[in-house]
Amino acid sequence: MKTPTVPAGARPARALVFTLTVRRTVRSGALWGAALGLITATSALSYDRVYPTHALRLALARAFGSNTMTIALFGPAPHLDTVAGFTSFKVSLTLSVLASLWGLRAATGALRGEEETGRWDLLLAGPRRRVATTAQALAGVGVGVVVLAATCALVTTAAIRSPASGLRWTQVLGLGGAVLAAATTFAALGALTSQLDATRHDATTTGVVVLAIAYALRLVADAGLGLHALVWASPLGWVEEMAPLTAPSPVAAVPVAIWAIVLGAAALRGARVRDVGAGLLARDDRRRRRRRLLTGPGALTWRLGSSTILRWWIGITLGAGLIGLVARKAGSTIGGSSVRDVFSRLGATTLGTRAVLGVASLILAVVVSLLAVGQVAAARAEEARGHLDWLVASRVSRVRWLLWRLGAAAIALGGVGLLEGLATWGATASQGAHVGPTLLLEAGANLLPPALTLLGVATALYGLWPRAAVPVSYGLVAWSLLIVIVGGIGAISPWLLDTSVFHHMAGAPAEAPRAAANAIMCAIGLVGIATGVVAFARRDLVAT
Amino acid sequence: MDAPAVRADGLTKRYGRTVALDHLDLVVPAGQILGYLGPNGAGKTTTLRLLLGLIRPTSGRAEIFGVDAWREPVRAHAHLAYVTSDVALWPTLTGGEVLDLLGHAHGAVDGALREELIASFDLDPTLRVRAYSTGNRQKILLIAALMTRADLLVLDEPTRGLDPLVDQVFRTYIRQARDRGQTVVLSSHELSEVEALCDQVAIVRAGRLVEQRTLAELRQLSALAIEATFPGRPPDLRGVPGVHALEVEGSVLRCQVEGSIEPLLRALAEAGVTRMTSREPSLEELFLAHYDRADVPAP
Repeated sequence: MKTPTVPAGARPARALVFTLTVRRTVRSGALWGAALGLITATSALSYDRVYPTHALRLALARAFGSNTMTIALFGPAPHLDTVAGFTSFKVSLTLSVLASLWGLRAATGALRGEEETGRWDLLLAGPRRRVATTAQALAGVGVGVVVLAATCALVTTAAIRSPASGLRWTQVLGLGGAVLAAATTFAALGALTSQLDATRHDATTTGVVVLAIAYALRLVADAGLGLHALVWASPLGWVEEMAPLTAPSPVAAVPVAIWAIVLGAAALRGARVRDVGAGLLARDDRRRRRRRLLTGPGALTWRLGSSTILRWWIGITLGAGLIGLVARKAGSTIGGSSVRDVFSRLGATTLGTRAVLGVASLILAVVVSLLAVGQVAAARAEEARGHLDWLVASRVSRVRWLLWRLGAAAIALGGVGLLEGLATWGATASQGAHVGPTLLLEAGANLLPPALTLLGVATALYGLWPRAAVPVSYGLVAWSLLIVIVGGIGAISPWLLDTSVFHHMAGAPAEAPRAAANAIMCAIGLVGIATGVVAFARRDLVAT
Repeated sequence: MDAPAVRADGLTKRYGRTVALDHLDLVVPAGQILGYLGPNGAGKTTTLRLLLGLIRPTSGRAEIFGVDAWREPVRAHAHLAYVTSDVALWPTLTGGEVLDLLGHAHGAVDGALREELIASFDLDPTLRVRAYSTGNRQKILLIAALMTRADLLVLDEPTRGLDPLVDQVFRTYIRQARDRGQTVVLSSHELSEVEALCDQVAIVRAGRLVEQRTLAELRQLSALAIEATFPGRPPDLRGVPGVHALEVEGSVLRCQVEGSIEPLLRALAEAGVTRMTSREPSLEELFLAHYDRADVPAP
């Protein structure tokens, strides 16, 4: 008889799931934490350079300190005449949203993602209980959350060691705490949605919907409508109330803790009572045959992708409408030459409603660009999952398939431009602001050239380097946003600014669209699309 | 159509320094069933993906009924249907909807055959794909391929995950397809299935084709398996020409013989053999004979 590989009496690895999850989340947490730290540090370090005089700082505070529109979009702006206040205003909400997304994805990946691949079947076939396995995965995500927050704080501290930076270490520690709270809140949510939904995609989508609702609640709470109490109904509001850089309030961490405990316990309970591989929410997996939109790749693209595009359209319409509703009131608070100077640094050449809409166009342009890149990501997912094999192994040309996909992207983008213009016009008109529909439709169309550029770059990458296409393209959107945020206030060299597509976009309707720049961006996009299509026709289909 | 169903000339695929397929020459005449065999990683799936034009040959070419599979994939695919065991389908569509989609993608479907296949394979087409078991998802692909009545069926381990009853249904329809003049390329590790269905067998090893013959030819060229029983201890036959793989168990001797059987028969008669059986080698034995024993992992 052979000697057993495992010595007699040896115990199975009890913390195997914990170890595997930690391995997975720590690396990602460190990377994201470093990025969050860099965003914070860059903002803090740029303050002295951009606003060197007391007069400029006061002007900044007057422009934004009580501007309901910017407060609604970015969060409260107290003490803008200090580094801490400025940094808090610029990065707090961004950090909260990014940390929330990280926490959500980490939890759904570690729980539902692993289960969906069937790996949990193997683990649970061993001497492990479902609840303990879920608890270990949650603990592993928790370690990743701590690493995320700690890395963010460390990188921020390392970058602002100079006394001139104006941030104290206790404030940075508090900032790390806010990142920890945001990530924990949505990791707990992800743990619960992983029990409710049967796929990682559904679990993450449910979490993102909750995040969007949380953002909307916080926006209304901060919009100066007398509804500030609503901030306590939003997980993002709790993090906002912690205000680590301006008015630290540890009490705001209490609802975060209660939320995490309740949702974590509910997730463990869900793991105990449900079948492995299934979700708690009942799904109807049986239905009558629906033959519409199954006649080919174009029809299938619409059948599978139209609901996603529709969701984007609704989201953009609501977002543009909300901005339009508060734009007039926000614009009326802007006045004086120093404030005009502050606004001009943000790209606006006019004042009033149009100036506010022009500044807000950056956010909308980012969202529209994400939609563009998302269309290429969907095409890549179709290929990576092997679905495309079935179509091109029949009488479907792979080029035709990709062109249908790109056609859907073009329609999605065109619709977004139109809806954004119409929604903004309707909302501003309802508030008595007289900004013409033509001007606002033009502003909507002005969002498309950067999106088309990124669509082209993503398509070219998809054709040439499919595995990198999605992360690199999303990275380019993030890079362009970061550069334009930091660079738009003069804290960066011009050549670096040129690498951001958003830098080349006019802040319409505050300023007229730049025809030449838009033409060049469209041309780059079309060349990218052509390159991608040609390369795609000549390369192997590549699975995951 | 005069051209062979499949022709590969010097078909080569490299991934960096790794050679997945090395100058493969293969011809599959129309109307035959070819069993395409090889161990894991030998290049079977690479060959099929090259035939389908899903990946680009590094050199050489593949033709489907005379049409270049890479340069004119749509025209080449007009003649073929494809099934693989790696069943990744659209999870939100129902089985019936997937059949609709793949039918439209192929262009021509025998509607009556589709309904017959759904009944024969016992598939519930109203369920969403995500709710099917692996075997039922496999049935969808088999039905989708068979209902097209394509001139060429390219099947990559098509019965993995199917129960024996469904496997029998599959064999019936494949034989019917052959009888109708359709060609089948069947890559499989189920050697009994290949043995039961195939006219020809091609064996690929480390990216190279090492054999392509009919089963009868392979058997003629291979050793005969002998089992002989003696009243006492069996004789020592190590010196008999053509005899190898000797095994003795009590009064029973087993061996294989290549070439003329006469010297062995004489030796057995001299030793007083009381009972003797001979049989042709199974496909499994033929398959293993093409690989060094070192390639087969120890149990």
